[in-house]
Amino acid sequence: MRRPRFEARNVVRTLAIAMLLIAAASAAIPFSSPAGAAARGKLVLAWHAGFASRWLDPQEHDGTATPDNFFTALHDALIKNQGTQLFDHLALAERFAVAADAKSATFTLRKGTKFHNGEPVTVQDVKFSYENYRGAKADVFKKKTERIEFVDDRTVRFVFKEPFLDFAILFGTANVAGPGWIVPEKYYKQVGPDGFKQKPIGAGPYKLVRHEPGVKVEMEAFDGYYRPVNVKQLVMVSVPEAATRVAMLERGEADIIYNVPGELINKVGKLPGFTLAPVLSGSFFIEFPGFQDPKNPFRDKRVREAVSLAIDRRAMNQTESGGMGKPTGNWINDDVLYAIEWPEFPRNVEKAKQLLREAGYPNGFDVDWVTPIPAFYSRGERIISQLREVGIRGRLQTMERGIFFQRLQGGLKEFPGTQIILHGARIGGSWSFWYEGHFKCGGFNARDRVCVKDLDGKFELYERSINPAERKKLAEEIQRGILENYYLVPVFRHAFVNAIGPKVVAQKWQDVFPTITTGYAYPWEDLRVKD
Amino acid sequence: MGAFIIRRVLYSIVTLFILSATIFLIVRFTGDPLALMTEASARPEDLERIRHQWGLDRSWPVQYVTFMQNAFKGELGKSFNYRLPVTELYFQRLPNSLTLGFAATLISLLIGVPAGIISAVKVNSWWDNLAKGIGLLGLAIPGFWLGLVLILVFSVWLRWLPTSGAGDWRHVIMPALALGWYFAASMLRLTRSSMLEVLGSEYIKLARLKGLPDIVVIAMHAFKNALIPVFTLAGVNLVVMVNAAVIIEVIFAWPGIGRLLYEGIFQRDFPLVQGVVIMAGFMIVAINLIVDILYAFIDPRIRLTR
Repeated sequence: MRRPRFEARNVVRTLAIAMLLIAAASAAIPFSSPAGAAARGKLVLAWHAGFASRWLDPQEHDGTATPDNFFTALHDALIKNQGTQLFDHLALAERFAVAADAKSATFTLRKGTKFHNGEPVTVQDVKFSYENYRGAKADVFKKKTERIEFVDDRTVRFVFKEPFLDFAILFGTANVAGPGWIVPEKYYKQVGPDGFKQKPIGAGPYKLVRHEPGVKVEMEAFDGYYRPVNVKQLVMVSVPEAATRVAMLERGEADIIYNVPGELINKVGKLPGFTLAPVLSGSFFIEFPGFQDPKNPFRDKRVREAVSLAIDRRAMNQTESGGMGKPTGNWINDDVLYAIEWPEFPRNVEKAKQLLREAGYPNGFDVDWVTPIPAFYSRGERIISQLREVGIRGRLQTMERGIFFQRLQGGLKEFPGTQIILHGARIGGSWSFWYEGHFKCGGFNARDRVCVKDLDGKFELYERSINPAERKKLAEEIQRGILENYYLVPVFRHAFVNAIGPKVVAQKWQDVFPTITTGYAYPWEDLRVKD
Repeated sequence: MGAFIIRRVLYSIVTLFILSATIFLIVRFTGDPLALMTEASARPEDLERIRHQWGLDRSWPVQYVTFMQNAFKGELGKSFNYRLPVTELYFQRLPNSLTLGFAATLISLLIGVPAGIISAVKVNSWWDNLAKGIGLLGLAIPGFWLGLVLILVFSVWLRWLPTSGAGDWRHVIMPALALGWYFAASMLRLTRSSMLEVLGSEYIKLARLKGLPDIVVIAMHAFKNALIPVFTLAGVNLVVMVNAAVIIEVIFAWPGIGRLLYEGIFQRDFPLVQGVVIMAGFMIVAINLIVDILYAFIDPRIRLTR
C-alpha cells in the first residue's frame, strides 16, 4: 500500500492544538511594525488573461483558482492557504479551533487589524462576510450553520447544525470558497456589491489605487497591514498575448509574467538573469465514457490497462511541459486533503498488445473520438499516436472550451460509441471535490458517463461519516479502487510555467511562488525587488 | 427627399433589429457562460444561483424582449465579467479605440494614397510594380505577425518603443502601424484603380490638350475626383478599426473596444458581446445612412430611385 499524502491523524481533535502552536510561533514575528512604511520599489505582473471585476470581491467567489491572486493582495481571510499550509495559515485570526465534535469553530481576531479605510476589522465584519457570502459553496455553509456567536469583541464562534468536518478546508482554501475573506460591512453596504467590485476596500497587504476594468489594477502597500510589506507599488496588467508578455519581461516592463507557453519556454530559459518558475499545476487524465456498456471495448479492465501501458507519460511531460511537469500516479493532485500518493504507471507497449490480444482485440480496435480538454489539442494528438502503437486507432475531436464543458454536462448521450476524453483539472481543498466533479454518478462534469456503484456507495458513506479516521480510510479505498481498475488513467501533472525578471529578489523560483496550492505568486507582501 | 430619408431610416432600423436578433442568438448558441464562470467542480446549486442572478434561467424570447426594452432606453445590460453597464465599459474604451483608429487611418492614407497615385501615374513601370508588391504584402501579411515583428525589432532589440499598453504617443506607433498597414494596401489599390479611371476620362484628356502641366492635371483635376471613393472607404475602415481591431489590440494589450469584444467572446459575456456588436452596427448603419442622404442630396437621381 502506498503511503498517503496526509498522515492518519485525527484531524478534528488535533487541529486546535496544532493551531495554538502555529499561533504561538506566529506571535514571535514582529507583526506590529507599520507594514508599508519600509516598502519600496515597484513590481509589475503581466497576466495571461483579462481581469474580471468579480475577482475583486470575495463575497462572490466563483470557485475558480484565479481570484485568489486579487484576494491575497487586497483582502485577507481569517485563515488561508499559504506556503505549504493547505488551508490553516493564520491570517486575520491569531488562533482558531474546531470543536472535537466538529459542531463549532472558534476564531480569535488578531489585535489591531484594520481595513484600508482605517476602520478596524471586527467580529461583526466576520459575521457579515459569512452571512452575506453568496459565492461558490455558499449553500453548503448556509445549510450547515445554525448561528454565529460573539464570544467577546475579538472572538467569534460558528455553530453548526451537524458536524461539519470539511468546514476548515472549505473556509480556508482561497481557490475553493470565500466566506472566510473579510469585507468591511459598513463600506460594503454603503457602495453595494457592484460598487465594491470597482473600488474594493479590504484588510490585505495592498490597497487599491486605480482599477481599469479588464486592463489593469494598481495597488500600493498598506501601512496598516500586520505583516511587513516589501514592495511599495504592485501593478497587475492584463496581457493576453504570450509573446508580448515575454517581450515585456525582456524589456523590463514586467517583473513577473504568468503562463509561458511551451514554444517560448526555451527562449525565456536562455535569457540571462531570468528565471523560469514551473509550478506544478493541473492533472491530466483519461476517461472512458460509457465504458460499462457491454459493447464498449473499455468495459474490459485489460483494455483500460492496455491504454495506461501505451501512454508515454515522460514523453508527454517533456514535449508539453518542457520536462518540468510530473508524470503522476494519481489523477488527484497531492496538494489536497486525503489525496493518496501512487507510483507512476509504467509504459510497456508489448504488454499492452498482449492484454489487448487476451481481451479479444488482436488487431486493436477503432475509437470514434479522442477529445482533449480545450485548448490542449496537441496532448490529444500525442495520446492518439501513442495508442496507435498498440493498435487502438482514434481520431482527434477538437471543441471550443465552452462547448466541451457543455457537452460534458450533457452526459453520456454527448459521447456515444467508443470514446476517450482527456481531462485536465486543478481543484483545491479536498480529494472529495475531485470525485464529486469528475467521477461521482450525477456529478457536475461526470454526469452518467462513469457511474461505478460500489465506489459511489463508499463515497456516500464518506459524506455521512463524522469520524475522520473512517473518512480517511474510505477516501483511500475509493482512490485505490479507481486506480487499480483503471477507471480513470492518470497521465501527468503539467507545469504552469511562469517567469521572473532580474529585478525580483529570489534565490530560486520557489521564493516567488512558495504557495503549493496555487500556480500564482502570493503572498505578495513577501516579494522583494532590487533597488 | 423626405420620403427617401424616411425609407432609409426605416431600412436602418430594420437592419439594426435583424442584427440585434442575430447576435442575441449567435452568442447563445456558443453555450452556457457558466461553464467559464465557474470551476469544473461547481455544484448545481451554485450554477442555478448564478443563472438566476443573471436572468439566464428565463426563456430566450423573454431574455430578448428584456434586452430590446433596455436597448431602447439606451441600456445594453450589465457585463457578467466586469459588473459594469456595457455602455459605460464601451465609452471607457472608446477614446483608446478612436486614438488607435485615427492614427491607423492616417498611416493607411499616408502610405496608400501616395503609393496609389504614383502607381497609377507610372502605370506598368517598376514604381507600379513596387506599389503592387506593397499592396500584395499589405493584404498578405497577417496583422498579428507584423505586430510581433514590430515588438521584437522596436521594443526588444532597439528599445525605442514600449511593447504594449496605452500611455503616451509612443504607445500608439506600433499598433497603429500594424493596423494601418493592412488598410493601406486596400487604400493603395483603390486609389490606383480610381486614379486610372479618372486619368482615362475625357476631361483629363482635354486638360492635357490644353497644355496643362502633368502635375497640375494630376493634382488639380484627377486627384480630387479620384479621392471621393477613397475617403468613403477610409470612413468605413475607421469604423471597422475602432470596433474590430481585435487582433492588434490583443497583441499590443491595447485597452480598446476590439479587446473588450475579444474578452467578451472568450468569457462568453453575452451582454458585452451583444452591446459591442450593436454599437458597432449602429455606427456603420448611421454612417451609411448619412452617406446615403448626402449622396441623394447631391445627386437627385439617387433619391428618385426606388
